[in-house]
Amino acid sequence: MTAPTLDGRWFEDVVVGEQLPEVALPLTVYRLVMAAGSNRDFNSIHHNSEYARATGAEEMYANTSFLMSSWERSVRDWVGLTGRIRAIRGFRMRSFNHVGDTLRVLAEVSATRVDGPVGVVEIAIRCENRSGVSVGPGSVEVELPRRTTTQEESA
Amino acid sequence: MTAAVDTADWKTDWQEVVDAIGRDFAEGSITWGGDAVERGGIRRYLEPLELDCALHTDPEVARAAGYADVTMPATGVIAWTIPAAWTPGQVLFDSAERDAQPVHSAINNADMTLGPRTTGFFGTDIEVDFLRDVVAGERIGRRGKRLVACTPKETGVGRGAFMTWESEIVTSELEVVGRIRIGTYAYVPHATKEDAS
Repeated sequence: MTAPTLDGRWFEDVVVGEQLPEVALPLTVYRLVMAAGSNRDFNSIHHNSEYARATGAEEMYANTSFLMSSWERSVRDWVGLTGRIRAIRGFRMRSFNHVGDTLRVLAEVSATRVDGPVGVVEIAIRCENRSGVSVGPGSVEVELPRRTTTQEESA
Repeated sequence: MTAAVDTADWKTDWQEVVDAIGRDFAEGSITWGGDAVERGGIRRYLEPLELDCALHTDPEVARAAGYADVTMPATGVIAWTIPAAWTPGQVLFDSAERDAQPVHSAINNADMTLGPRTTGFFGTDIEVDFLRDVVAGERIGRRGKRLVACTPKETGVGRGAFMTWESEIVTSELEVVGRIRIGTYAYVPHATKEDAS
């Protein structure tokens, strides 16, 4: 991984239990329509209240890509340019995230390990809305560069 | 919209789907995204997320990090493998009714050849392994659509089944750059008071 000149986190600086900055995403109609247009999930349940109610939901609600990418936003905000996301697990949508609510992404470092030349960080992550946990809890696995490896290579 | 009818044996209608667990409904074929990954699409993907990362927006930074161009956000594996909604010569909208649906859509369960006809559909869960980052200029698709689980269940919104589908994410050179498992719930919505009357 080429990382030394880029702003971002190093594996050695990561501490298990560290909280990632909370991300808050108000779910307005405007935002949900922008999300549908950009991630191509045009299912009417995500931008049409009347249609969503006919399918049994209370209101239109955020789509899968948007919710999953909210985890990426949370992790990327914290990890900077040096990290690489390599897996998402346990991304389970437990309840709808309706328009008019605010989606909060909450995460913390749950484990670290060395995998050859890189460090691997497990981040426990979930979304909450006014009803509680709505997505997850799951995990995002991130690769980070190791200072020790870089020093060993340059020695 | 069709409403769930109160029959005691509704789960048996799903048995042929349960029996098909392990089958690749796409028979190994590749469903390509409607567009190649490109800078404009990436920028639009970032907007509703307010996701500020120069790897996705600044080619110089991306190159400094070892990439050929800006990178697609990892979670873009879904968006960039959704096929085009319309192709030249097709009719996509054939009704002026307010909530009319397009003639066809990749975002539903309409291409399912087994089991009951359903009108409600949403995603439930996802697992993804990102084997390498995808960059602007590449095109990706989903190869295969293997059914790995099917559980009929009645929920608050209707009667249907939870299904899990497995695919590989491939480039136009057929390099496997990811693996994805997508859970869905396809269902017949419960009857509303209006339907009952």
